[in-house]
Amino acid sequence: MAFHHYHRATSLEDAQQTLLSHPSNILLGGGLWIKKSNAEADTAVDLSLLGLDQINEKEDHIEVGAMVTLRDFETNPAIQKLGGGFVAHAVGQIMGVALRKLATVGGSIAAKLPFSDVITPLLTLDVTLVFYPKKEIKLADYLSSKGKNKDILTHLIIKKTPGFGFFKKVGNTALDFAQLNIAISRLNSHVAIALGSRPGVAALATQAMAYLNGCAKIGPKDIEKAAEMAVAELSFASTTFASEDYRKTLALTYVRRGLEEVLAHAS
Amino acid sequence: MQVKFFLNNRPFIAEVSPNDFLLKTLRDHHVTSVKNGCNESSCGACTVLLDGHPVLSCSLLTVRVEGRHITTVEGISEDVKILSDLFSDEGADQCGFCNTGLALAVYALKRELKNPSDEEIKRYLVGNLCRCSGYQAQFKAIVRYVRNEQ
Repeated sequence: MAFHHYHRATSLEDAQQTLLSHPSNILLGGGLWIKKSNAEADTAVDLSLLGLDQINEKEDHIEVGAMVTLRDFETNPAIQKLGGGFVAHAVGQIMGVALRKLATVGGSIAAKLPFSDVITPLLTLDVTLVFYPKKEIKLADYLSSKGKNKDILTHLIIKKTPGFGFFKKVGNTALDFAQLNIAISRLNSHVAIALGSRPGVAALATQAMAYLNGCAKIGPKDIEKAAEMAVAELSFASTTFASEDYRKTLALTYVRRGLEEVLAHAS
Repeated sequence: MQVKFFLNNRPFIAEVSPNDFLLKTLRDHHVTSVKNGCNESSCGACTVLLDGHPVLSCSLLTVRVEGRHITTVEGISEDVKILSDLFSDEGADQCGFCNTGLALAVYALKRELKNPSDEEIKRYLVGNLCRCSGYQAQFKAIVRYVRNEQ
Protein backbone atom coordinates (compact mmCIF):
# COMPACT_ATOMS: atom_id res chain seq x y z
CA MET A 1 0.00 0.00 0.00
CA ALA A 2 1.32 3.39 -0.93
CA PHE A 3 -0.40 6.66 -0.14
CA HIS A 4 0.44 10.20 -1.09
CA HIS A 5 -0.81 12.00 2.00
CA TYR A 6 -1.26 11.32 5.68
CA HIS A 7 -3.98 13.03 7.66
CA ARG A 8 -4.25 12.92 11.44
CA ALA A 9 -7.97 13.45 12.03
CA THR A 10 -8.95 16.04 14.65
CA SER A 11 -12.54 14.78 14.98
CA LEU A 12 -14.70 11.97 13.65
CA GLU A 13 -16.41 14.47 11.37
CA ASP A 14 -13.03 15.53 10.00
CA ALA A 15 -12.03 11.87 9.58
CA GLN A 16 -15.14 11.04 7.60
CA GLN A 17 -14.96 14.14 5.42
CA THR A 18 -11.36 13.32 4.53
CA LEU A 19 -12.18 9.65 3.97
CA LEU A 20 -14.98 10.56 1.56
CA SER A 21 -13.00 13.25 -0.27
CA HIS A 22 -11.32 10.69 -2.56
CA PRO A 23 -12.53 7.18 -3.49
CA SER A 24 -9.15 5.58 -2.77
CA ASN A 25 -8.75 7.05 0.72
CA ILE A 26 -8.30 4.63 3.59
CA LEU A 27 -8.51 4.53 7.37
CA LEU A 28 -5.46 3.38 9.31
CA GLY A 29 -5.96 0.82 12.04
CA GLY A 30 -2.76 -0.58 13.50
CA GLY A 31 -1.10 -0.37 10.09
CA LEU A 32 0.22 -3.94 10.02
CA TRP A 33 -1.30 -4.68 6.61
CA ILE A 34 -0.02 -1.62 4.78
CA LYS A 35 2.98 -3.54 3.45
CA LYS A 36 0.99 -6.54 2.31
CA SER A 37 -1.14 -4.61 -0.16
CA ASN A 38 -0.17 -3.27 -3.58
CA ALA A 39 -3.05 -0.81 -3.64
CA GLU A 40 -2.52 2.92 -3.87
CA ALA A 41 -4.42 5.50 -1.85
CA ASP A 42 -4.54 9.25 -2.02
CA THR A 43 -4.74 9.83 1.74
CA ALA A 44 -4.39 7.61 4.79
CA VAL A 45 -6.56 8.87 7.63
CA ASP A 46 -5.28 8.28 11.18
CA LEU A 47 -7.80 8.02 14.03
CA SER A 48 -5.23 7.73 16.80
CA LEU A 49 -5.86 11.14 18.36
CA LEU A 50 -9.61 10.71 18.80
CA GLY A 51 -9.62 8.94 22.16
CA LEU A 52 -10.73 5.65 20.63
CA ASP A 53 -8.04 3.75 22.55
CA GLN A 54 -10.02 3.42 25.77
CA ILE A 55 -11.85 0.52 27.39
CA ASN A 56 -14.70 1.44 29.73
CA GLU A 57 -16.42 -1.12 31.87
CA LYS A 58 -20.09 -0.35 32.51
CA GLU A 59 -22.61 -2.22 34.60
CA ASP A 60 -23.85 -4.63 31.96
CA HIS A 61 -21.37 -4.10 29.09
CA ILE A 62 -17.83 -3.18 28.15
CA GLU A 63 -17.22 -0.36 25.70
CA VAL A 64 -14.05 -0.91 23.67
CA GLY A 65 -12.64 1.82 21.40
CA ALA A 66 -11.80 0.69 17.88
CA MET A 67 -8.19 1.86 18.25
CA VAL A 68 -7.53 -0.21 21.38
CA THR A 69 -4.48 -2.36 20.67
CA LEU A 70 -4.68 -6.13 20.97
CA ARG A 71 -2.20 -5.93 23.85
CA ASP A 72 -4.27 -3.41 25.80
CA PHE A 73 -7.37 -5.48 25.07
CA GLU A 74 -5.99 -8.81 26.32
CA THR A 75 -4.49 -7.27 29.49
CA ASN A 76 -7.65 -5.37 30.47
CA PRO A 77 -9.20 -6.81 33.67
CA ALA A 78 -12.76 -6.54 32.36
CA ILE A 79 -11.84 -8.38 29.13
CA GLN A 80 -9.94 -10.99 31.13
CA LYS A 81 -13.13 -11.79 33.02
CA LEU A 82 -15.26 -12.37 29.91
CA GLY A 83 -16.35 -16.00 29.68
CA GLY A 84 -13.70 -17.19 32.13
CA GLY A 85 -10.94 -15.48 30.14
CA PHE A 86 -11.19 -17.22 26.75
CA VAL A 87 -11.25 -13.97 24.76
CA ALA A 88 -8.11 -12.61 26.44
CA HIS A 89 -6.46 -16.01 26.03
CA ALA A 90 -7.27 -16.09 22.31
CA VAL A 91 -5.96 -12.59 21.62
CA GLY A 92 -2.86 -13.16 23.78
CA GLN A 93 -1.75 -15.94 21.43
CA ILE A 94 -1.49 -13.71 18.38
CA MET A 95 2.14 -13.29 17.27
CA GLY A 96 4.35 -11.37 19.75
CA VAL A 97 3.70 -8.58 22.25
CA ALA A 98 5.37 -5.99 19.99
CA LEU A 99 2.93 -6.76 17.18
CA ARG A 100 -0.06 -6.80 19.51
CA LYS A 101 0.91 -3.36 20.82
CA LEU A 102 0.38 -2.02 17.27
CA ALA A 103 -2.50 -4.09 15.88
CA THR A 104 -5.95 -2.81 16.82
CA VAL A 105 -9.20 -4.56 17.69
CA GLY A 106 -11.13 -2.29 15.31
CA GLY A 107 -8.70 -2.93 12.48
CA SER A 108 -9.17 -6.70 12.70
CA ILE A 109 -12.95 -6.37 12.77
CA ALA A 110 -13.46 -3.60 10.22
CA ALA A 111 -11.27 -5.43 7.71
CA LYS A 112 -13.10 -8.73 8.41
CA LEU A 113 -9.73 -10.48 8.56
CA PRO A 114 -10.55 -14.11 7.69
CA PHE A 115 -7.86 -15.73 9.87
CA SER A 116 -8.53 -13.40 12.82
CA ASP A 117 -8.23 -14.92 16.29
CA VAL A 118 -9.98 -11.78 17.60
CA ILE A 119 -13.22 -12.07 15.64
CA THR A 120 -13.94 -15.77 16.32
CA PRO A 121 -14.22 -15.59 20.14
CA LEU A 122 -16.06 -12.23 19.99
CA LEU A 123 -18.60 -13.76 17.64
CA THR A 124 -19.74 -16.11 20.42
CA LEU A 125 -20.56 -13.11 22.64
CA ASP A 126 -23.21 -10.41 22.26
CA VAL A 127 -21.17 -7.75 20.43
CA THR A 128 -22.57 -4.62 18.80
CA LEU A 129 -20.42 -2.46 16.51
CA VAL A 130 -20.91 1.29 16.64
CA PHE A 131 -20.14 3.26 13.48
CA TYR A 132 -19.88 6.99 12.93
CA PRO A 133 -22.00 8.89 11.97
CA LYS A 134 -24.96 6.77 13.05
CA LYS A 135 -25.10 3.02 12.76
CA GLU A 136 -25.17 0.13 15.17
CA ILE A 137 -24.93 -3.41 13.90
CA LYS A 138 -24.33 -6.82 15.46
CA LEU A 139 -20.89 -8.26 14.77
CA ALA A 140 -22.32 -11.32 12.98
CA ASP A 141 -24.43 -9.09 10.68
CA TYR A 142 -21.44 -6.88 9.88
CA LEU A 143 -19.30 -9.90 8.97
CA SER A 144 -21.92 -11.19 6.53
CA SER A 145 -22.62 -7.75 5.04
CA LYS A 146 -21.38 -7.01 1.53
CA GLY A 147 -20.00 -3.92 -0.16
CA LYS A 148 -17.51 -1.28 0.85
CA ASN A 149 -18.17 0.33 4.18
CA LYS A 150 -17.50 4.05 4.39
CA ASP A 151 -18.72 4.57 7.92
CA ILE A 152 -16.12 4.62 10.69
CA LEU A 153 -16.04 1.90 13.32
CA THR A 154 -15.61 3.73 16.62
CA HIS A 155 -16.55 1.25 19.36
CA LEU A 156 -17.51 -2.29 20.22
CA ILE A 157 -20.13 -2.86 22.86
CA ILE A 158 -19.57 -6.24 24.49
CA LYS A 159 -22.41 -7.39 26.69
CA LYS A 160 -21.31 -8.94 29.96
CA THR A 161 -23.11 -12.27 30.37
CA PRO A 162 -22.06 -14.83 32.97
CA GLY A 163 -20.71 -18.04 31.52
CA PHE A 164 -17.70 -19.82 30.16
CA GLY A 165 -15.93 -19.92 26.82
CA PHE A 166 -13.51 -22.14 24.93
CA PHE A 167 -11.02 -21.11 22.26
CA LYS A 168 -8.60 -23.13 20.18
CA LYS A 169 -6.29 -21.94 17.44
CA VAL A 170 -4.78 -24.73 15.37
CA GLY A 171 -1.38 -23.77 13.95
CA ASN A 172 2.15 -25.14 13.87
CA THR A 173 3.77 -22.23 15.72
CA ALA A 174 2.67 -19.09 17.54
CA LEU A 175 3.64 -17.03 14.49
CA ASP A 176 1.46 -18.95 12.03
CA PHE A 177 -2.01 -17.95 10.96
CA ALA A 178 -4.63 -20.38 12.21
CA GLN A 179 -5.35 -23.39 10.01
CA LEU A 180 -8.66 -23.22 11.82
CA ASN A 181 -9.87 -21.45 14.94
CA ILE A 182 -12.77 -22.51 17.09
CA ALA A 183 -14.64 -20.58 19.77
CA ILE A 184 -17.50 -21.92 21.83
CA SER A 185 -19.31 -20.11 24.61
CA ARG A 186 -22.05 -21.04 27.03
CA LEU A 187 -23.53 -17.89 28.50
CA ASN A 188 -26.67 -18.09 30.64
CA SER A 189 -27.03 -21.67 29.35
CA HIS A 190 -27.05 -20.46 25.73
CA VAL A 191 -24.44 -22.15 23.54
CA ALA A 192 -22.69 -20.37 20.65
CA ILE A 193 -20.24 -21.94 18.19
CA ALA A 194 -17.99 -19.92 15.83
CA LEU A 195 -15.40 -21.20 13.37
CA GLY A 196 -12.87 -18.99 11.60
CA SER A 197 -9.97 -19.36 9.15
CA ARG A 198 -11.88 -22.08 7.26
CA PRO A 199 -10.31 -20.08 5.45
CA GLY A 200 -13.31 -17.71 5.25
CA VAL A 201 -14.02 -15.10 7.92
CA ALA A 202 -15.46 -16.52 11.15
CA ALA A 203 -19.13 -17.49 11.13
CA LEU A 204 -21.59 -18.91 13.63
CA ALA A 205 -22.81 -22.48 13.22
CA THR A 206 -26.41 -21.35 13.67
CA GLN A 207 -28.10 -24.71 12.95
CA ALA A 208 -25.89 -26.60 15.39
CA MET A 209 -26.51 -23.85 17.95
CA ALA A 210 -30.30 -24.01 17.44
CA TYR A 211 -30.20 -27.78 17.88
CA LEU A 212 -28.21 -27.60 21.14
CA ASN A 213 -30.19 -24.71 22.55
CA GLY A 214 -33.39 -26.70 21.85
CA CYS A 215 -32.19 -29.69 23.88
CA ALA A 216 -33.64 -29.95 27.39
CA LYS A 217 -30.42 -31.60 28.50
CA ILE A 218 -27.37 -31.90 26.26
CA GLY A 219 -25.90 -35.40 26.22
CA PRO A 220 -22.85 -36.93 24.48
CA LYS A 221 -24.94 -37.86 21.41
CA ASP A 222 -26.19 -34.28 21.10
CA ILE A 223 -22.60 -33.01 21.20
CA GLU A 224 -21.62 -35.46 18.47
CA LYS A 225 -24.61 -34.43 16.35
CA ALA A 226 -23.99 -30.70 16.84
CA ALA A 227 -20.35 -31.08 15.79
CA GLU A 228 -21.44 -32.87 12.61
CA MET A 229 -24.08 -30.21 11.92
CA ALA A 230 -21.53 -27.41 12.36
CA VAL A 231 -19.17 -29.02 9.87
CA ALA A 232 -22.01 -29.60 7.40
CA GLU A 233 -23.50 -26.09 7.54
CA LEU A 234 -20.28 -24.04 7.22
CA SER A 235 -18.05 -23.83 4.15
CA PHE A 236 -14.49 -25.14 4.26
CA ALA A 237 -11.82 -24.93 1.58
CA SER A 238 -8.20 -25.86 0.91
CA THR A 239 -5.28 -23.45 1.12
CA THR A 240 -1.53 -23.95 1.33
CA PHE A 241 -1.96 -24.01 5.13
CA ALA A 242 -4.46 -26.84 5.36
CA SER A 243 -6.73 -28.92 3.13
CA GLU A 244 -10.52 -28.81 3.25
CA ASP A 245 -10.69 -32.35 4.65
CA TYR A 246 -8.14 -31.57 7.33
CA ARG A 247 -10.06 -28.46 8.37
CA LYS A 248 -13.31 -30.45 8.58
CA THR A 249 -11.62 -33.11 10.71
CA LEU A 250 -10.22 -30.43 13.00
CA ALA A 251 -13.62 -28.75 13.24
CA LEU A 252 -15.37 -31.98 14.14
CA THR A 253 -12.86 -32.77 16.86
CA TYR A 254 -12.55 -29.33 18.41
CA VAL A 255 -16.24 -28.45 18.34
CA ARG A 256 -16.85 -31.66 20.26
CA ARG A 257 -14.03 -31.00 22.74
CA GLY A 258 -15.04 -27.38 23.16
CA LEU A 259 -18.64 -28.29 23.84
CA GLU A 260 -17.55 -30.90 26.39
CA GLU A 261 -15.41 -28.28 28.09
CA VAL A 262 -18.03 -25.52 28.30
CA LEU A 263 -20.73 -27.97 29.38
CA ALA A 264 -18.52 -29.41 32.10
CA HIS A 265 -18.19 -25.90 33.45
CA ALA A 266 -21.28 -25.16 35.52
CA SER A 267 -22.46 -21.67 34.62
CA MET B 1 6.88 15.91 5.76
CA GLN B 2 8.56 16.74 9.02
CA VAL B 3 8.15 14.56 12.11
CA LYS B 4 9.34 15.44 15.60
CA PHE B 5 9.64 12.87 18.34
CA PHE B 6 11.96 11.91 21.18
CA LEU B 7 14.69 9.35 20.61
CA ASN B 8 16.15 8.16 23.91
CA ASN B 9 14.80 11.32 25.56
CA ARG B 10 16.42 13.67 23.04
CA PRO B 11 14.38 15.64 20.49
CA PHE B 12 14.64 14.07 17.04
CA ILE B 13 13.51 15.70 13.81
CA ALA B 14 13.24 13.81 10.54
CA GLU B 15 12.03 14.61 7.04
CA VAL B 16 10.01 11.59 5.91
CA SER B 17 7.56 10.40 3.29
CA PRO B 18 4.07 9.46 4.61
CA ASN B 19 4.89 5.85 3.63
CA ASP B 20 8.12 5.58 5.61
CA PHE B 21 8.30 3.15 8.47
CA LEU B 22 10.22 3.96 11.64
CA LEU B 23 12.79 1.23 10.99
CA LYS B 24 13.83 2.93 7.75
CA THR B 25 13.82 6.41 9.28
CA LEU B 26 16.04 5.34 12.19
CA ARG B 27 18.51 3.42 10.02
CA ASP B 28 18.62 6.26 7.49
CA HIS B 29 19.71 8.42 10.42
CA HIS B 30 22.46 5.95 11.35
CA VAL B 31 20.59 4.42 14.30
CA THR B 32 21.76 1.01 13.15
CA SER B 33 21.27 -0.80 16.45
CA VAL B 34 17.69 -1.28 15.20
CA LYS B 35 17.93 -4.30 12.92
CA ASN B 36 16.12 -5.07 9.70
CA GLY B 37 15.39 -8.79 9.91
CA CYS B 38 12.25 -9.97 8.13
CA ASN B 39 10.78 -6.51 7.53
CA GLU B 40 7.29 -7.99 7.72
CA SER B 41 6.39 -7.95 11.41
CA SER B 42 7.38 -11.51 12.27
CA CYS B 43 10.92 -11.67 13.69
CA GLY B 44 11.17 -8.91 16.33
CA ALA B 45 14.70 -7.81 15.35
CA CYS B 46 13.42 -4.27 14.72
CA THR B 47 11.80 -3.95 18.17
CA VAL B 48 11.93 -0.47 19.77
CA LEU B 49 10.02 0.90 22.73
CA LEU B 50 7.15 3.30 22.02
CA ASP B 51 6.37 5.19 25.24
CA GLY B 52 8.00 2.28 27.09
CA HIS B 53 6.23 -0.58 25.29
CA PRO B 54 7.79 -2.86 22.68
CA VAL B 55 6.59 -2.34 19.10
CA LEU B 56 7.83 -3.43 15.68
CA SER B 57 9.50 -0.46 14.03
CA CYS B 58 9.25 -2.15 10.60
CA SER B 59 5.48 -1.82 10.80
CA LEU B 60 5.02 1.54 12.50
CA LEU B 61 4.64 4.55 10.21
CA THR B 62 7.10 7.24 11.24
CA VAL B 63 4.43 9.93 10.87
CA ARG B 64 2.47 8.27 13.66
CA VAL B 65 5.17 8.72 16.30
CA GLU B 66 4.89 12.51 16.28
CA GLY B 67 5.49 13.73 19.84
CA ARG B 68 6.03 10.21 21.21
CA HIS B 69 9.03 8.66 22.96
CA ILE B 70 11.11 6.05 21.14
CA THR B 71 13.75 4.05 23.00
CA THR B 72 16.51 1.98 21.40
CA VAL B 73 19.26 0.02 23.21
CA GLU B 74 21.31 3.21 23.43
CA GLY B 75 18.65 4.48 25.84
CA ILE B 76 18.84 1.54 28.24
CA SER B 77 22.63 1.18 28.46
CA GLU B 78 22.78 0.30 32.17
CA ASP B 79 20.44 -2.64 31.74
CA VAL B 80 22.15 -3.65 28.51
CA LYS B 81 25.44 -3.92 30.43
CA ILE B 82 23.82 -6.26 32.98
CA LEU B 83 22.08 -8.30 30.28
CA SER B 84 25.18 -8.68 28.11
CA ASP B 85 27.23 -9.83 31.11
CA LEU B 86 24.55 -12.42 31.88
CA PHE B 87 24.41 -13.50 28.23
CA SER B 88 28.15 -13.99 28.18
CA ASP B 89 28.06 -15.78 31.55
CA GLU B 90 25.51 -18.25 30.19
CA GLY B 91 27.29 -18.63 26.84
CA ALA B 92 24.18 -17.25 25.13
CA ASP B 93 25.84 -14.98 22.57
CA GLN B 94 25.90 -16.07 18.95
CA CYS B 95 25.79 -13.68 16.00
CA GLY B 96 24.11 -10.91 18.00
CA PHE B 97 21.72 -9.78 15.29
CA CYS B 98 18.59 -10.35 17.40
CA ASN B 99 20.16 -9.12 20.66
CA THR B 100 19.14 -5.47 20.48
CA GLY B 101 15.46 -6.16 19.80
CA LEU B 102 15.46 -8.91 22.41
CA ALA B 103 17.13 -6.67 25.01
CA LEU B 104 14.41 -4.04 24.57
CA ALA B 105 11.65 -6.63 24.83
CA VAL B 106 13.22 -8.12 27.96
CA TYR B 107 13.67 -4.64 29.48
CA ALA B 108 9.97 -3.91 28.91
CA LEU B 109 8.97 -7.34 30.23
CA LYS B 110 10.79 -6.70 33.49
CA ARG B 111 8.88 -3.47 34.02
CA GLU B 112 5.51 -4.73 32.87
CA LEU B 113 5.13 -8.17 34.49
CA LYS B 114 5.27 -8.65 38.25
CA ASN B 115 7.05 -11.86 39.32
CA PRO B 116 6.49 -13.59 35.97
CA SER B 117 6.62 -17.39 35.76
CA ASP B 118 8.94 -19.09 33.24
CA GLU B 119 5.93 -19.65 31.02
CA GLU B 120 4.91 -15.97 31.16
CA ILE B 121 8.45 -14.91 30.24
CA LYS B 122 8.48 -17.26 27.25
CA ARG B 123 5.05 -16.10 26.13
CA TYR B 124 6.10 -12.45 26.30
CA LEU B 125 9.13 -13.13 24.08
CA VAL B 126 7.39 -15.26 21.45
CA GLY B 127 7.85 -12.57 18.82
CA ASN B 128 11.64 -12.23 19.21
CA LEU B 129 13.25 -14.89 17.05
CA CYS B 130 16.86 -16.11 17.22
CA ARG B 131 18.03 -18.23 14.30
CA CYS B 132 21.38 -19.27 15.81
CA SER B 133 20.43 -20.93 19.02
CA GLY B 134 17.93 -23.13 20.80
CA TYR B 135 16.97 -20.28 23.17
CA GLN B 136 18.00 -22.21 26.30
CA ALA B 137 21.09 -20.21 27.21
CA GLN B 138 19.34 -16.90 26.44
CA PHE B 139 16.41 -17.98 28.55
CA LYS B 140 18.65 -18.73 31.54
CA ALA B 141 20.28 -15.31 31.21
CA ILE B 142 16.92 -13.56 30.81
CA VAL B 143 15.46 -15.28 33.88
CA ARG B 144 18.45 -14.15 35.95
CA TYR B 145 18.03 -10.57 34.67
CA VAL B 146 14.27 -10.47 35.29
CA ARG B 147 14.66 -11.90 38.80
CA ASN B 148 17.68 -9.73 39.61
CA GLU B 149 19.94 -12.74 40.08
CA GLN B 150 23.20 -11.20 38.98
